[in-house]
Amino acid sequence: MKRATAMARVFLLVLALLGMVAVGTGWAQPKTELTVALSSFATEVLDPPLGGHLVKYYLSMMFDYLVGTTPDGQPSRDGGIATRWDNSPDFKRWTFHLRKGVKFHNGDELTSEDVKFSIMRNIGKRSTTGYAGPLRTLIQDIETPAPDRVVVVTKEPTLIIPLYLSRSLSTEGMITPKKYIESVGDDVFARKPIGSGPYKFVEQVTGSHITLTAGDNHWRIGTPKYKTMTFRLVPEETTRIALLRRGEVDVAELSRERVKDVEKDGFPIHYRREESILTMWWVLGPDGRVPPAKDKRVREALNLALDRAEIAQSIFGGKADPAAVPLGLSWSFKDVGFKQTPDMMYPYDLPRAKKLLADAGFASGFNLDVYAYQLPGLPEGKTMAEAVAGYWEKLGIKSRLIPVDYPAFRKAWFDRSAPGAVGYFNIANRDWIGAYALLEKQAYSASKPSDTVNDPEIDGMLSQVMRQTDREKINALMRNVYTRLRSEHLGVPVVYLHSPYATSKTLAKWNVGSVMYDLFFDQLASGK
Amino acid sequence: MLRFVAARLLQSLIALAIVSVVVFVLARATGDPLYLILPMSASQEDFDNARRYLGLDRPYVEQYLSFVGRAITGDFGVSLRARRPVSELIRERLPNSLKLAAFAMGVSLAMAFPLGIMAAVKKGTGLDRAAQVVSVLGQSLPTFWVAILLVEFVAGRLQWLPAGGIAGFSSYVLPGFTLGWFVVAGLMRLLRSGMLEVLDSEYVKLARVKGVAERRVIWLHALRNALIPVVTFAGIYFAILVTTAIVVETVFAWPGIGRLAYEGISSRDFPVIQAVVLTTAAIVAVVNLCVDCLYAWIDPRIRYAR
Repeated sequence: MKRATAMARVFLLVLALLGMVAVGTGWAQPKTELTVALSSFATEVLDPPLGGHLVKYYLSMMFDYLVGTTPDGQPSRDGGIATRWDNSPDFKRWTFHLRKGVKFHNGDELTSEDVKFSIMRNIGKRSTTGYAGPLRTLIQDIETPAPDRVVVVTKEPTLIIPLYLSRSLSTEGMITPKKYIESVGDDVFARKPIGSGPYKFVEQVTGSHITLTAGDNHWRIGTPKYKTMTFRLVPEETTRIALLRRGEVDVAELSRERVKDVEKDGFPIHYRREESILTMWWVLGPDGRVPPAKDKRVREALNLALDRAEIAQSIFGGKADPAAVPLGLSWSFKDVGFKQTPDMMYPYDLPRAKKLLADAGFASGFNLDVYAYQLPGLPEGKTMAEAVAGYWEKLGIKSRLIPVDYPAFRKAWFDRSAPGAVGYFNIANRDWIGAYALLEKQAYSASKPSDTVNDPEIDGMLSQVMRQTDREKINALMRNVYTRLRSEHLGVPVVYLHSPYATSKTLAKWNVGSVMYDLFFDQLASGK
Repeated sequence: MLRFVAARLLQSLIALAIVSVVVFVLARATGDPLYLILPMSASQEDFDNARRYLGLDRPYVEQYLSFVGRAITGDFGVSLRARRPVSELIRERLPNSLKLAAFAMGVSLAMAFPLGIMAAVKKGTGLDRAAQVVSVLGQSLPTFWVAILLVEFVAGRLQWLPAGGIAGFSSYVLPGFTLGWFVVAGLMRLLRSGMLEVLDSEYVKLARVKGVAERRVIWLHALRNALIPVVTFAGIYFAILVTTAIVVETVFAWPGIGRLAYEGISSRDFPVIQAVVLTTAAIVAVVNLCVDCLYAWIDPRIRYAR
């Protein structure tokens, strides 16, 4: 009896040791779940026209776009519902040829009717996506000559339709199921969304997580590597890092400040280089630009007074690079052939700045209101505003910091109730069409109230872009816009920010890509 | 007793009505939520459409009457941010906050009782001073700091407990301790002073003279009579824990009503702000009512004096 007990003990001990070794050496089954910890879910709305841009992080795995993109933001025939597209000679009819055999998660086939329905819904009056307005103005009709063909008819000749309906911009091009939405209604759809993407919706607990599950096989990614994909909302960074250390999450959004700590522990860091440009501008008055920033010399002086290299190093921990072009969305530079040359970089030249100010009649400086606020993804916002105000103090400018939240500044900016005051934003970088869409809002007088530039020459160039059908001419126009923004100092570009994401040590290779508000999890989840 | 309860109920309803006006006005005084909801590229037409769609274009009085009329039936409108009925959001989040607050209250009672009683019984000794230091630290150390330290070291470095989210009993430990420790000081001090007062009273002295065992004197005769203020305090603090755990819920990624309030405030989501404040006020009013009734029941002089 005693012997039997002893043997049982030895057996149990061996089992326990085996268990420990298995856990320690990773004998466990391959991971079947990919968990991503984000600091914000934005609106948490799972219906494409109602979520805004930021929901793309998780919606792009649930839905397909009419036009796909490569991880670096180029239109792709492999990544979207349309396998090819062509235009009529007058550039007013865009025909999209749809991928055959694509099914929604409820088994319904995706047809041209769904595409038409989705676009009309995404650009409808209830939509809160960023580019619904311009598309509404531009699109005259959508025809469905065959189940696998859609024709978008525009009022004006244009080149932009495929790009505006692609993954590179917002959610206007996401395809949703017509029959299902019409039968259950908008509210039910928003709670139980059905798409045609590689992952289908399982559960949403607001304020906590969104869980998706993989289908068997999908044309975008093959057999998915992970059975489930969970997006966890973890606002506090220390908690995100702790979850990463504990192996509870595989991808964690990180601040520039904590990169060293996490890197030291051996976790790979993936950067979205130049994910945004931190740029400042002067609020316009009711009739446009107001003194003293109306004077080009003053604008140049304010630019020359900033030591951007020091700002990049001391405030952003070296995870930023000086910027030279106001509103210069650098991911679009290569698309349009714009080169940011070294001579465009603003040197830190206080004596020259002082001279320019004196020449403009402001030798003894002037009062300047600088709005200071935090922004999502920019915890350094207020510190940066204080630093900039400090540099301008050295120039003799009496900067007054106005601590507010961003919406308060945005209201003052849109209402033009604080003419001449300075504000800023970390504008998400994007390809040329995204850059055009942004410039059309922020550098185009007709776009009152969001304009920050008020320059007739730029207005003229931007108004031509939308109507232009020759891509080379568009590129030239965009290059000229950037050149003029820089030469006229129509803003204060500060730095390009690099955004870090930490991943678990066992995660596969991941190209974070350069698509606006999209981390391109396709590659991570791909079994191809 | 019935008259007493009815009077208290009426007072609570008046308080809720006042709160509804105040929160309605203050929520709107913070600014226009569309500047947060709509992207920077939104046009004036997008603003007008959204304002109409969300009912923000109606006069304030009309908005208020509609809000109150619906709130009475438990309908708080639709969240401007999440585009879901607010009552649904509250139903999802409130149980999480209640469970966390209950756990935290359990932690604080488990710490405060032995500490408070020991401090009273061993008054003036090192034990008394140590108990006071422990409890005072809980109140004086900022909650966010304690929470972050626990996440960083206990969860992240030592990997003893989960760092955040709700996943079984173990996930309650760190947020529950962080919240509970804060309450210990108040409970422990009340218990200590109550016990000291009772231990010095004639009937306790008599019990001792009669040879009743010291343990029985402390735990049965003294503690029972020192409990009344502790019950009141614990009741009120429970309501506070449910409704004000914003920092703890944020650090521990806990989807509770505190986080919902924070999300509502930061996105100027009026319906959510209004609903959370009203729900919070209702919880506090109900708990206060219960405590008042308990008091009146324990000590009838209270009900006659009012």
